Amino acid sequence: MATLEVVNPQATTVIEAVAPAPRLDTMRGKTIGLYWNMKSGGDTALERTAKLLEERYPDTEFKQYIGSVGAVIRHATDEDIEQVVDECDAVVGTTSD
Amino acid sequence: MIEFEKRGIPTTSWTADGFIMDAMRSAENFGMTTFSISTMPLPFTNQSPEGIDAMVDGSIDQVVSGLTEPTTRSGFEEEGFAIVSDPVLTFEGSDLLDAMDAFNRTFIDWKWSDGLPLVPPTVERVERMLQGTILPPQEVIARLEPGFGIATVEKIAANAVMAGCSPDHLPIVITAVQCIAEPQIYLRNKAMSTGPHAPLIVVNGPIAKEIGLNSGVCALGPGAVSHANTVIGRALRLVMMNVGFTYPGVSDMDTIGSPIKYSMCVAENEAESPWEPYHVAKGFRADESTVTVHFVYGTCELHDFENWKAEELAHNFASAACNLCQVPTGKWLLGRRADPRYHTEEKEHHFMMICPEHAQAFHNSGWDRKRLQEEMFRLSRMSFKDLIGNKEHKGFEIAHPELQWLWDSPDTMLPIVETPDCFEIAVVGGAAGRGAFFWGGGGPITKAVQM
Repeated sequence: MATLEVVNPQATTVIEAVAPAPRLDTMRGKTIGLYWNMKSGGDTALERTAKLLEERYPDTEFKQYIGSVGAVIRHATDEDIEQVVDECDAVVGTTSD
Repeated sequence: MIEFEKRGIPTTSWTADGFIMDAMRSAENFGMTTFSISTMPLPFTNQSPEGIDAMVDGSIDQVVSGLTEPTTRSGFEEEGFAIVSDPVLTFEGSDLLDAMDAFNRTFIDWKWSDGLPLVPPTVERVERMLQGTILPPQEVIARLEPGFGIATVEKIAANAVMAGCSPDHLPIVITAVQCIAEPQIYLRNKAMSTGPHAPLIVVNGPIAKEIGLNSGVCALGPGAVSHANTVIGRALRLVMMNVGFTYPGVSDMDTIGSPIKYSMCVAENEAESPWEPYHVAKGFRADESTVTVHFVYGTCELHDFENWKAEELAHNFASAACNLCQVPTGKWLLGRRADPRYHTEEKEHHFMMICPEHAQAFHNSGWDRKRLQEEMFRLSRMSFKDLIGNKEHKGFEIAHPELQWLWDSPDTMLPIVETPDCFEIAVVGGAAGRGAFFWGGGGPITKAVQM
């Protein structure tokens, strides 16, 4: 029987834990941010999302956002994020594929 | 979205089924082990409006629950690769070869392998590798995205052993890691993208010859003549995986992948170049050794056996740059690749490896590197109509409100990059009229090698 001892090549990480935000008690009367990262089709999806939510919750308001920097994918700056936080109760995003 | 959650705003992100693990892993990297996503069967890209509407219709309940109910989805349930913290790992077999097979099988199961057999990073081999640098084993070189792995000298050395490097290669691997960790590189984007971003390593200065890097025939491999090139390039990929946590299929969502992602490293053929070395043009001394890393998407030949006049060669080379199917072509119309965390912005650069014969032809015509850059910029033009055809129109409106007149003049010819210096040029290769053009993603970073 032979034994091979190897140095673990995988790095350790240090990540600061972030707790999720408290969820909404209701959708009614809320302002929902629609955040699009500019990837194709995301705007269409958010438009449809708003339409369907508005049908269910007519007193819901929607605000549209796009990141201020980037190209094919646009990103939110700190200022963009603060604006959304000031103006919205929740956010629906198309930020993934 | 995590920045919103941090500030008390609940979110949900539309995410395609095939990207769930990727999204959850991204959230974990930024500290959220539970994260709300609303899933659809396919990405929204390339879908008709009717198709997108149907996908949203089918999942709208997830949006409501994602914003109103506690988030329970955890990425750790579907990690996709092993996380092991033991500093030393043990493998057994009937003999050492059998134990080595067990090691390779396990690393494939854990997703720690690039798919080719690995050299076991035994304690002795890693210690020997560490003799290649004066840096202490626990010195932190970088925190590598996307997983924010701590790149100590020892972890880099272990991956260099696995790639087949020898100790004299280690300073180049370490410097390459320093290059890709620079915020300007925006490694998170390059590592996780659905595109085939591959790190191209270019070495300049005396170290190239000292360690036997190939700058001539078959410099990009394969073969024994490019052994040092191959293993150094491979080491950087393994570091990206096992230190940066860029694991294919989990956090590297490259649609097809690319063979150039395994390894890509050359030295500039300074001896046969009529121009100042690439690193000197970047502000380094000729006797300094440097490493440049440029993430590129792919390559094509710069073939021309017929011409010896600079104008004719440049005219042909410009046709390589004008490829609509490459992301950087005219990407400036949408803005610049940007990372707001570090306030960085990148222009798209291309990398040209000019063979010595062509370089001499340019030189004989009185062209230096700068002149070739200027002419490539002047000649590499496409119509607005073609350039905008595969780009999000809204992005062009936001990035360039001053250029909206182009909609009325769609045949206007535009440069495919922003400035002449977006064409990076080094002399590489053997004796024939064939170079290589690499479509780049963002720009390169060059750093001096620290032994």
